Amino acid sequence: SYDPRTAYPVLAGYPWYSEDKEHVLVNNKCQCVTVTSKLVPSKENPNEEVLERNIRIIVPLKARENISDPLSPLRTTFVYRMTELCRRCDPVEIELDGEIHQAQQSTFCDQPETCYTYNRDKCYTSTFPIRYQGETRKVQAALTPASCYAD
Amino acid sequence: MTFLVLIFLLTLLPAQSTRSTYLPKSASNPVFGPWQVYGLLNGSVTITCFYPPTSVNRHDRKYWCRASATSCRTIVSTSGYVAAGYEGRASLIDYPESKHFEITISGLTKADAGNYQCGVGINDRGLSHKVSLVVSEGPHVPEGAELFYVELHSTLTMTCSFGEESASKRKFLCKLDRSGCHTIIDTYGNIDEDYTGRALLSSKDAEGSFSITITQMGWQDSGFYLCGFGAHGESGETKELDVHVYERNDVPQGKPTIIAVKGSSATFECHYAPIRSSSLKYWCKWKQNGCSRIVDSEGFVAPLYEGRVALYDNPVNKTFTIILNQLKDSDKGYYWCMTEDEKEQQSSNELKVIEGEPGLQGQEDVEAQVGSQVDLTCSYPCKYYSYQKYWCRWNSTGCTPLPASDQRHPGPDVSCDRDNKTVILSFDSVTKADQGWYWCGVTRNGRLGETMAVYLSVTEGQSDDHNLEIQNLDAPRGAEPPSQAEPGVNPQGRAFSDAGVQGAAGSESPAQSQGPNTLVLSLSLTGAVLLVLVTAFAVFKYRQLKRSDLVSVGSYRTNISMADFESVKGYAASNDACVKENDETQIGGDEFITTKVIPESSAETKKAKRSSREDADLAYSTFLLTSGTITQDGSRGGSAAPEVASPTREGQI
Repeated sequence: SYDPRTAYPVLAGYPWYSEDKEHVLVNNKCQCVTVTSKLVPSKENPNEEVLERNIRIIVPLKARENISDPLSPLRTTFVYRMTELCRRCDPVEIELDGEIHQAQQSTFCDQPETCYTYNRDKCYTSTFPIRYQGETRKVQAALTPASCYAD
Repeated sequence: MTFLVLIFLLTLLPAQSTRSTYLPKSASNPVFGPWQVYGLLNGSVTITCFYPPTSVNRHDRKYWCRASATSCRTIVSTSGYVAAGYEGRASLIDYPESKHFEITISGLTKADAGNYQCGVGINDRGLSHKVSLVVSEGPHVPEGAELFYVELHSTLTMTCSFGEESASKRKFLCKLDRSGCHTIIDTYGNIDEDYTGRALLSSKDAEGSFSITITQMGWQDSGFYLCGFGAHGESGETKELDVHVYERNDVPQGKPTIIAVKGSSATFECHYAPIRSSSLKYWCKWKQNGCSRIVDSEGFVAPLYEGRVALYDNPVNKTFTIILNQLKDSDKGYYWCMTEDEKEQQSSNELKVIEGEPGLQGQEDVEAQVGSQVDLTCSYPCKYYSYQKYWCRWNSTGCTPLPASDQRHPGPDVSCDRDNKTVILSFDSVTKADQGWYWCGVTRNGRLGETMAVYLSVTEGQSDDHNLEIQNLDAPRGAEPPSQAEPGVNPQGRAFSDAGVQGAAGSESPAQSQGPNTLVLSLSLTGAVLLVLVTAFAVFKYRQLKRSDLVSVGSYRTNISMADFESVKGYAASNDACVKENDETQIGGDEFITTKVIPESSAETKKAKRSSREDADLAYSTFLLTSGTITQDGSRGGSAAPEVASPTREGQI
């Protein structure tokens, strides 16, 4: 039958990554967890398709207890809860009767989140003692310089 | 278990054809570039890599590294590092404002072929794109696909040109997938259902050249496309297009779908590039074979949309807003905001019309007479309490707001009654020029909200005002000025002669009705009184004239006695008596005593009077009679007679 690779030689080796139909359910930048889902043939019955969820966790072994304080001790305990990861606390715009309202999709959004790694879109700073001309001063420095630009 | 799976499958299957709210995994890698580049031996190659223009990405490190099994080793980066062996032949230049960076490798050798990555940030963190470098001896190398990097929900424009031989043939755009290339849009009118309403194919001026515009780019639109002429799979050139959609998390996205209530209005916001703010902008409705223009920034309004649509340009915010009201079910569809020059700024929205109650309510068709007082009311619900409400006059270039209430201006004024939640546009005296469309609307924070349209039609003709009626009856057009009216002196039978006064007074100012009404009323009363007096005088004078005639006749007749004269005065009403008396006047003595016809009314007075005068008359008449016969007798009793004979003519007037 029709083979796109021979019909269109330019596509030999083309990574058909956009065809996987794998969807991202969770992309938690604070704890560095992503959960994706896709339909795969069932193991019991290959003619049926089941939903498969892939959970990817990257554990930052060199992270501190408090990521905003580089002088805090190294973190040794990492806790991941699906309910916390699946929480959607960002306000979403929805339309009701022609009016736009901002709605939050999950409850318990007031609880503080402990982050294990940096979120690239946020700026993290800390104060450091700097000794200059015999004087020790506390200076604020950026822990993630690329994220801390004003523009 | 299988039953659950089946149910799950059923719920998921239809969702696959529509857009999912979850991102596909391919979307999580926002760095994009060519998947394969070709270079000639000893030649050079340029690789372009794209990234989302967020603040962190623009300032972060960019790198080009060679991929191996374990890690990716940096060759060149924006930190200033160049790997050994690449000095002088590898360079990386970042263009943050254009959201891409370019890597140039020159002096290609066979050893350079392989897998590389271009990326942002730190190596092996996932923010990178895999590139395969192929070095061939030549002489020709394939060109590679044209890259398109578009933001989510924005517009993609691709141009393909093939030369004159393709001018008359079918032109198409198709998307590649594992099973082949399925047509998205072509010149024969075919269009893929996922692209209905958001894809347009238009032929350019040059022969064999055409462009495809797709709006509302979604995640599923990323991929490989082919544009060409003829039927795909047959001979004919094709051009490869590689499209990738990215998302900016830091900028809020516009609404692709607008849902509005039937009968109410919908607001569409379109953005455009700052440089071209003076070019023509227009708004059109998507049709199978093109886009039909509805309204543009130069004052054109399609005839079917009179009074329904207005375009507002806001160069400061670089947006233009379109409001469409009086929505019907047939208005649903896709609408495109187009700019003449900047094709990238074209965007589209889908409009859905649902059942419901419009927020702003009021009478939509108002008829009024010329000169009457008209109120256009618009009632708003509680949700608009904090909004600013306005009335505006619609014309083809937009809707100009009507000024706030000002008592000095004779034009319409706008007032708001907070208790009843209505906004009223009042006309003190409506004229023919006021006929047209008026909109009542709300706005908040500079954003235009719902509107409602009202058509005011002004008709000529009979006025209901009573004041005008009186004027029409009493003062004919071009009535005589009041100075000429002289009531009473010349009663020529025109009873309306004094109406000239009241007519002039009433025609001073038709607009002010209260004052002249009382003035005219009083004038008409005095005129009526004068009328009555004049008539009475006229009649009286007429009678006097008649009587004076009789008196003058009687003075010439010397035969009539004083008694006759006396009797005439008393019997003003009956001529018969006078005539009879004259006729029956007999010379002789007998008649004076008894045979006269005497009206009973003045019988007694007559007798009394006659007693004194009758003797005198008697004496005179006998003297006259006898004087003729006894002129020879001498003068007897004639001394007294001549003095009495001359009756005094002092009639009573």
